[in-house]
Amino acid sequence: MTTEKIQLPPARYEYGGDEFVFVELDQAMSLEANFAGMAVTNALRQEVIDGVVDICPSNASYMVQIDPDRLDPRELVEELRRLESTVGTLPDDYVLKTRVVDVPVLFNDPWTHETLMRFRDRHQDPDATDLEYAARINGFDSVQGVVDAMTSAPWIVTMLGFVPGLPFCYQLVPRQRQIQVPKYVRPRTDTPERTFGFGGAFAVVYPVRGAGGYQMFGMAPAPVFDLSQSLPDFADDICFPKANDVLRYRAIDMAEFEATRSEVEKGTFRYRIREVEFEPATLLADPDAVNRELLEVLYR
Amino acid sequence: MTTIKAQMPGVFYRRPAPEKPVYVDDGESISEGQTIALIEVMKTFNEVKADASGTVAEFLVEDGDEVDVGQDIVRLGET
Amino acid sequence: MSELRVRAGGLYTTVQDTGRFGHYHMGMPPSGAMDTYSAVVANMLVGNPDGAGVLEGTYIGPTLEFTDDRVVAVTGADVPVTLNDEPVEPWTAIRVRSGDVLGFAMIRAGCRAYVAVSGGIDVPVYLGSRSTYTLTGIGGHEGRKLADDESLPLGAADGPGPGGAAVPEDLRPDLTGTAQLRTVVGLCSYRLTEGGLASFLGTDWKVTKDADRVGYRLRGGTLDFTEREQPFGAGSDPANVVDLGYPIGSIQVPGGDEPIVLLNDAVTGGGYATIGTVISVDRDRIAQTKTGDAVRFDSVDLDTALAARRDRRERIERVRSRIAR
Repeated sequence: MTTEKIQLPPARYEYGGDEFVFVELDQAMSLEANFAGMAVTNALRQEVIDGVVDICPSNASYMVQIDPDRLDPRELVEELRRLESTVGTLPDDYVLKTRVVDVPVLFNDPWTHETLMRFRDRHQDPDATDLEYAARINGFDSVQGVVDAMTSAPWIVTMLGFVPGLPFCYQLVPRQRQIQVPKYVRPRTDTPERTFGFGGAFAVVYPVRGAGGYQMFGMAPAPVFDLSQSLPDFADDICFPKANDVLRYRAIDMAEFEATRSEVEKGTFRYRIREVEFEPATLLADPDAVNRELLEVLYR
Repeated sequence: MTTIKAQMPGVFYRRPAPEKPVYVDDGESISEGQTIALIEVMKTFNEVKADASGTVAEFLVEDGDEVDVGQDIVRLGET
Repeated sequence: MSELRVRAGGLYTTVQDTGRFGHYHMGMPPSGAMDTYSAVVANMLVGNPDGAGVLEGTYIGPTLEFTDDRVVAVTGADVPVTLNDEPVEPWTAIRVRSGDVLGFAMIRAGCRAYVAVSGGIDVPVYLGSRSTYTLTGIGGHEGRKLADDESLPLGAADGPGPGGAAVPEDLRPDLTGTAQLRTVVGLCSYRLTEGGLASFLGTDWKVTKDADRVGYRLRGGTLDFTEREQPFGAGSDPANVVDLGYPIGSIQVPGGDEPIVLLNDAVTGGGYATIGTVISVDRDRIAQTKTGDAVRFDSVDLDTALAARRDRRERIERVRSRIAR
């Protein structure tokens, strides 16, 4: 299938005080906006400019943290405008080198179910579970339908943040096939660690237990954040997900959940990871074909 | 007049939980170090401990009121 | 190894330095001393490098016992300080010996006191910093606030130092009155109506009880958002935007009536419209406001923000030269 190309408005450059420059690529989420941010932030990273403290890509925007004693924010904005005009849209032959990862999820698990039942008074639909509500408002006949939609095509990590290691994931499908749900009417004071959550058009895995406003659909047996760095996938970093990672959420049953948990506890668990490359332009033109290839590489 | 002052700002509570009885009532005698109230600040409930012994003449702050550092919260009478 | 005994941890005392940078992109805020000026000057008084580990006490300071000859200095909030129950001067280098006990009385103004000890609080460096980030339990002393009856390691000091150096009055911050927070309006301020922005800048906001190292929640006015059809992926509330990065110091208004200013332990991003950013220098000032205090936001441009930063650096250098004399 093909999709209509989304035209981005001109980028908006804003000063977040003297230490941050915030660049909004679009007010709406789209893969086009995320890829444009990827193009500029990747190019900026390669320039290694003195005074750039951190480069933070986000969904349809990005942010650069600077040390204004070394770099005038206005000079940075000039450089970002230059990058926008030279690399600001990914060229059609741009190849994204990243990794595709299998992320198992137990949907309708007992732990998030117990939690969501405690917070029904903060939900749009107190008489349904979060998954039942999501299925209904997205036009699915059953919970299985919405689970199938979320697990059939992979997702791309478009932003990390809120708390360390939390991946915001956007599904690699056209906008009309995206699932959308609102956040809780009032945020919960509790969310179990490793909850698979959903808000707006974004899927997340909560790295740690804490407050949260996203709908709760299930639980991942494997962590995205490991402070002790005891698992091999965390040897270099306490956070597993990286921006641009492609994650495939795969529905599992309780037996596999428990088997994976015991591997995690023994310290032997490893994510299934494959190096992959694809052209974002091809993905936008024919997402189903690219997604098939990505999954084929992952499970080969 | 001896008073007990708030050591931190926040929201003042006379009970450990809404459904529980007050820590101390007017007219009760209290001893130094005894917990007499809570102050909620920075997402934690902190115990207010008496820094003197005596009899509670009156509470000068209502349950749920905001208090400032150094504000008198209890007036003590004769022991 | 030399150590500092913590007899009482106080209300919320953590080890901090000038912060942990380069990890914002994965969701980790810098942490670090909330009032940078006071922390740097405290280190200067005791002969430490600017970025050495200090203690940041909140509302109720710690009680500390020394186990060898050191120089100590207390800066930040206006609070009576005692050594062995005798009053001693804040903003001054004080010589201490084994068995001496440093204590705090009730704060008069401000919120956070800084304690620097010659040699520095020598907790392990984690990702380039000694700062504590309690949300995930990293850095500082076991990733948490100090408890009663424990010990902290101290670094080696280059001789105990003379003591006696003091910061002149005019170089100590004024913590009285309404805190004026210079703010660069922008980011997603287009979400506010004209009246909403005027109300934001015209209101005396009061600091609520929910004011900690993550952020300060304020109350006192209502801000109106412009009507719009919410863009794809943003969520249905008028305060919602497609999740984006939050600068340190940025202000968001969930619900329209309680602005939150994010600070050193900020959540790094989320789905609420940000409407401006408190300039870096004035984070020192908001860090010294306490629950119940009043703050105002003054709209300034980037030039003013950069000039304020240069001014603070000059003030720090003036302190350095006065102490060296």
